[in-house]
Amino acid sequence: MTEGKLFTCSVVTPEKIVLDRKVRFVAVPAHDGEIGFLTGRAPLVVKLDVGRLRVESDEGSEELFIDGGFAEMVGDKLTILTEDARRPEELDRDEILTERQTAVAQPSVSDKAFAERQRALKRSRTQLRLLDE
Amino acid sequence: MANRRVLVKRRKAARNIRKITRTMQLISTARFQAAFSAAVAGRPYTDKLAELVGNLARAAKGLKHPLLQRPPEERRSALVVLTSSRGLCGGYNTNVLRLAVEHCDTKADSGADVELDVVGKKGIAYLKYLRREVAEEITTISDRPRFEEVEPLANTMMQRFVAGELDSVWIVYMKFISAGKQRPVVERLLPLSPEETLGIKGEPRGSQVQYEFSPAPEELLEELLPATVRVRLYQAFMDAAVSEHLARMVAMKAATDAAEEMIRRLTLQYNRARQTQITMELLDIVGGANALT
Repeated sequence: MTEGKLFTCSVVTPEKIVLDRKVRFVAVPAHDGEIGFLTGRAPLVVKLDVGRLRVESDEGSEELFIDGGFAEMVGDKLTILTEDARRPEELDRDEILTERQTAVAQPSVSDKAFAERQRALKRSRTQLRLLDE
Repeated sequence: MANRRVLVKRRKAARNIRKITRTMQLISTARFQAAFSAAVAGRPYTDKLAELVGNLARAAKGLKHPLLQRPPEERRSALVVLTSSRGLCGGYNTNVLRLAVEHCDTKADSGADVELDVVGKKGIAYLKYLRREVAEEITTISDRPRFEEVEPLANTMMQRFVAGELDSVWIVYMKFISAGKQRPVVERLLPLSPEETLGIKGEPRGSQVQYEFSPAPEELLEELLPATVRVRLYQAFMDAAVSEHLARMVAMKAATDAAEEMIRRLTLQYNRARQTQITMELLDIVGGANALT
């Protein structure tokens, strides 16, 4: 599938547009597993999980950390709305480690607290893995 | 003689102040521009989110969500007041706080308890001076607000609203309308009003597209509505920051102009004093010479 047609992918956060360009293939971390997008996909709105977004374009491939959110595919435009998106070089190891420590120390007194803790742990795990590669 | 030296001193002081205020004006100009472009950079997210909510609401055939549920009675209400942490920005804080106090009093008259959550040192100080009870003092959010700084506040508010601790959440801040116009406004953050969130702003092309949804639209809304609340609060913070820098810019421009005017007047006075002195000295000399001959 290396000769697929191009489509537009934009990654938007409340603070800025992180990415907006023509791409060949995108893999997003959906809530129930990874979904790959090529051009011409049927319209879709999907909830995203914490994870890695992989973007392949003519200039090579790139990976971003995504903190949940939504992806919408309409026509040949994929929009990813997320509250936090970072490139590996924008990640700070110390910050992640402190975050993980706080998450580990957090007691899971309720289902909600437990879910939050798991989410924080997953976030730091994903970020660390992205950093280490 | 003494008069002249005093005038020189005062003129020097005015010059120094002008230098300071002009620098502050330049700094706020730069900050204003940065804040403005940051606020504009957040627009696509907000617009897209509104469009998505609109599409989903149509797909889910109406909205039902705790965040949209209006309690039968407004008994406990929270008011988030956005003020600055630094002064020298003209009427910026005064205007916001006046509106905040007004809103509080109207709510209190209709029998609701209003809890004040104040952001910014200036607002905290003023409301304490009025002996109003400030439930929460927030000084962690800078004048360059970041999403992750605002997020916890939005989450707490939503949690308390859903738990029934609060019947409504309002927010008062200086809305940025244009570079020439800012207005203090009170807006309701919770419950969300369906008309606004239903996304009449959303592009019409969304209605024609048959989307695939994963998970079901109802479940997606479950996530989208809190995101809407968070981003609305964030936008309010951004607006407040833009207005603050603009207000400071205007105030410092006025101060610089006033200093200039004062320097002009002092120079005039100084020249006049000098002239008088020279005249007196000449009279002295002429008088002395006349006495000798």
